[in-house]
Amino acid sequence: MGITKREKRSPPSTSPCADLKAAYHNCFNRWYSEKFVKGHWDKLECVSEWQKYRDCLAQHLDDKHLSRFLETEGVADLIDQADSKNPSGAFK
Amino acid sequence: MVRAYAQEHTYKHPWERVTSASWRKFADPENKRALSHILEVDTLNRKLDPEAGKLYTTRAVTIHTPGPWFIRKIVGQEICHCVESTVVDAKSRSMQLATRNISLQKFIEVEEKIRYDPHPDNPNEWTVCKQETSIRIKPLSVLASMAEKIEQKCVEKFQQNSAKGREVMERMCKYLEAESKGISL
Repeated sequence: MGITKREKRSPPSTSPCADLKAAYHNCFNRWYSEKFVKGHWDKLECVSEWQKYRDCLAQHLDDKHLSRFLETEGVADLIDQADSKNPSGAFK
Repeated sequence: MVRAYAQEHTYKHPWERVTSASWRKFADPENKRALSHILEVDTLNRKLDPEAGKLYTTRAVTIHTPGPWFIRKIVGQEICHCVESTVVDAKSRSMQLATRNISLQKFIEVEEKIRYDPHPDNPNEWTVCKQETSIRIKPLSVLASMAEKIEQKCVEKFQQNSAKGREVMERMCKYLEAESKGISL
């Protein structure tokens, strides 16, 4: 193409939380595969891992667009909108 | 103008395994190389409705700005933030994901919807994935005059990436299958 692609990427802003994230995701993935999909959905586990990871995110998530999602209650906004347009829940 | 396309893929793995793979897709280091356009994924919010057996999740997905290289020059940003909302309904065995960009909205709107359901022909062993993507260049943006071309380029790029995503999912499912049988790969 004659012009060199710039490969410079901003370092991910949440990398200070990488270890806490990995710890939480490992715990969540185990709970999801071994409990949630097997019918044991009475309670969400990995609470302490989640707290630590979220506290770290709240400190390091400098992007305002993203940090508002940490607070929002309407977690499934996008899906709910899709469902109300399409009540059967199926794609066109 | 909006460019939209749909894709469908059957995984010959049960729904429980495929949706587990979907959660793990971005975390594995080997997958990170294959999905190099995904720079960071963070879980922002997670809620369980224990009565309904529904799990709600919001994640932030930071991606390398899509489309041809000159887009990044014009918009002046190398990265794009997206938000992904997921609902998993364990009772009815469905997983729905919707992803939308929340930065660069002045220029472009991309929305991707994915559903994982048990395959009607073999609901206990197979899973069908249906994906819908729509890409729209904002009419008054600096990209508008070449909107059609850019949308086409974005579609091509997205399709390449979703092919990579499917390979990663297949690999992850095999890994989980082996793990469940007590074999380490």
